[in-house]
Amino acid sequence: MPGLVPGIHVFLVEQVVDGRDKPGHDVSRAHVMFDKILIANRGEIALRVLRACKELGIPVVAVHSTADADAMHVRLADESVCIGPPPAKDSYLNIPALLAACEITGADAVHPGYGFLSENARFAEILREHNVQFIGPTAEHIRLMGDKIEAKRTAARLGLPVVPGSDAAIESEEQALKVAEEIGFPVLVKAAAGGGGRGMKVVRTGDDLSGALSAARAEAQAAFGDGAVYLEKYLSEPRHIEIQVLGDGKGGAIHLGERDCSLQRRHQKIWEEGPSPAVNAEERDLIGERVAAAMRELKYLGVGTVEFLYEDGEFYFIEMNTRIQVEHPVTEMITDIDLILEQIRVAAGGELGMTQRDVKFHGHAIECRINAENPSTFRPSPGRIHQYHPPGGLGVRIDSAVYQGYAIPPYYDSLVGKLIVHGKSRTECLMRLKRALDELVVEGIETTLPLFRALVREQAIIDGDYHIHWLERFLSRATEDG
Amino acid sequence: MAADGPEHQRTPGRRIAIDQDAIRELTALLDELGLTEIEVEQDGQRVRVARHAAGVAVLPAGERAAVAAAATVAIAGPSVVAGMIDAAAHPGLVPSPMVGTAFRAPEPGAKPFVDVGSAVAAGDTLLIVEAMKTLNQIPSPRAGTVTQILFEDGQPVEYGEPLMIVE
Repeated sequence: MPGLVPGIHVFLVEQVVDGRDKPGHDVSRAHVMFDKILIANRGEIALRVLRACKELGIPVVAVHSTADADAMHVRLADESVCIGPPPAKDSYLNIPALLAACEITGADAVHPGYGFLSENARFAEILREHNVQFIGPTAEHIRLMGDKIEAKRTAARLGLPVVPGSDAAIESEEQALKVAEEIGFPVLVKAAAGGGGRGMKVVRTGDDLSGALSAARAEAQAAFGDGAVYLEKYLSEPRHIEIQVLGDGKGGAIHLGERDCSLQRRHQKIWEEGPSPAVNAEERDLIGERVAAAMRELKYLGVGTVEFLYEDGEFYFIEMNTRIQVEHPVTEMITDIDLILEQIRVAAGGELGMTQRDVKFHGHAIECRINAENPSTFRPSPGRIHQYHPPGGLGVRIDSAVYQGYAIPPYYDSLVGKLIVHGKSRTECLMRLKRALDELVVEGIETTLPLFRALVREQAIIDGDYHIHWLERFLSRATEDG
Repeated sequence: MAADGPEHQRTPGRRIAIDQDAIRELTALLDELGLTEIEVEQDGQRVRVARHAAGVAVLPAGERAAVAAAATVAIAGPSVVAGMIDAAAHPGLVPSPMVGTAFRAPEPGAKPFVDVGSAVAAGDTLLIVEAMKTLNQIPSPRAGTVTQILFEDGQPVEYGEPLMIVE
């Protein structure tokens, strides 16, 4: 540069990046590619999405509350916009602020991550009205699967096996008793507007039914603003097995295998693995193809997860999540497919990157969700991380936004990070997981690391012999033993 | 630009002095050439000035950007205004309550709501922030005098961005 003092090196960087020019990425198969993606989320998933965008050469706008100004993805983003004070309703759920941020930065696409507005059909619609692409399914499909009664009806119509139950909301106690006797006790009373395991009551005999119905209605009204409830057969010791799908919105869809997420506490998943120790290749192909066919018929766009309860060799549809999920890395590790990249690709109008025949599963992967909570009481433990050392090595992946010195804010979820480990077999994977858990250092806050260190040494886990009630029974035994 | 840079102390990642002349000159270059980002390295010190970015980072050699402590400063727009580094803590600060585009006047060509030196009462409109075609009048939180205007007309602003000082 003329006129400058010699000895100074000036690096001039122009903002405009065209993803199509980047080698090694088949973005050219998209008709267009986004100019700029705004990430409407925070924490580890925002960082995850940022990574995919960077690899595609797409500039990133990070939005954040004042509490997240020092977040790693904010530091790494090309632009950042503070959208509000800490409370989620004033920031990450603040649709006008998010729209304004799109406007002032010129973002032409929004990735909603998971949680927050990722399954908010209204948000998807508003973005569409403002010519901003929502990276996810259509508002119609979000709505369809958001209503759990409607979702079950749709699943049945599409040929998926469903849990026997009332086909609609319960109108009267007489009807409830009739349905319960048809499907057989025990039954589950579930909130239609619920999901994620909230608003459910087990009823073992006809005498308890009316009390459970009233209680469930009242709770559902309070929690979800909708007191509608329905009945389902209660499965005693099922596994939670979900199928990952990907659709191009034009009738093309594939499945990417299953994840076993049976280890849950209060309906929150803490350990997920793929393939499921309970499912063999033939079962996988069968259920996978049924799910993929259903998505083809729907002309589903984007990633999604179809969740089942699995007992005695039978799959029963419970719900579908129309977003990227927390545990998506498990699938990525066993298929070598970047799910966020695929999301972005199909959202931009591109084709699926592969056919069903191209999808191959290799080895085994396990993910542990490590939370900033006391490992026995699960009391949240926000605060500053004084020492942080993530494990490394072959087959070890950490999806986390924390760093040494980072303070976990008290306003959002307590996830410290996800440790995902891959091995050629389940045995090797467990050995590697044990090693990685022992190597991981997080000091300054309490974390659930000790729980995972115990689980990886527990015989039932080593055998893969568990179900959706296993963890809570393990935890209550542990508290009894003192 | 000064050949011998400013003295700076290197307590790990804490206090880092900022060469304001260097930043001013780079910012002028940024505006003049219509760039979005300039990064300059000299004598082991690196300065980057970026448009709309998270801030100006002064990085002593060897310190990784990802772990550098909060030496970043919120920049209001394409230009750095003298004394802005102190604005965020100023008691008379009027921060933006929303995301949008800030305008000095009710409409293009009209007189600005206020200028430096204007006396205002609590509740008087200081500026407009526009978002999605709606114009939002931003009121003064207190009575006083406008002593600094920290944004340019038509500048995008974020939540909490320093807009003015009214004291």
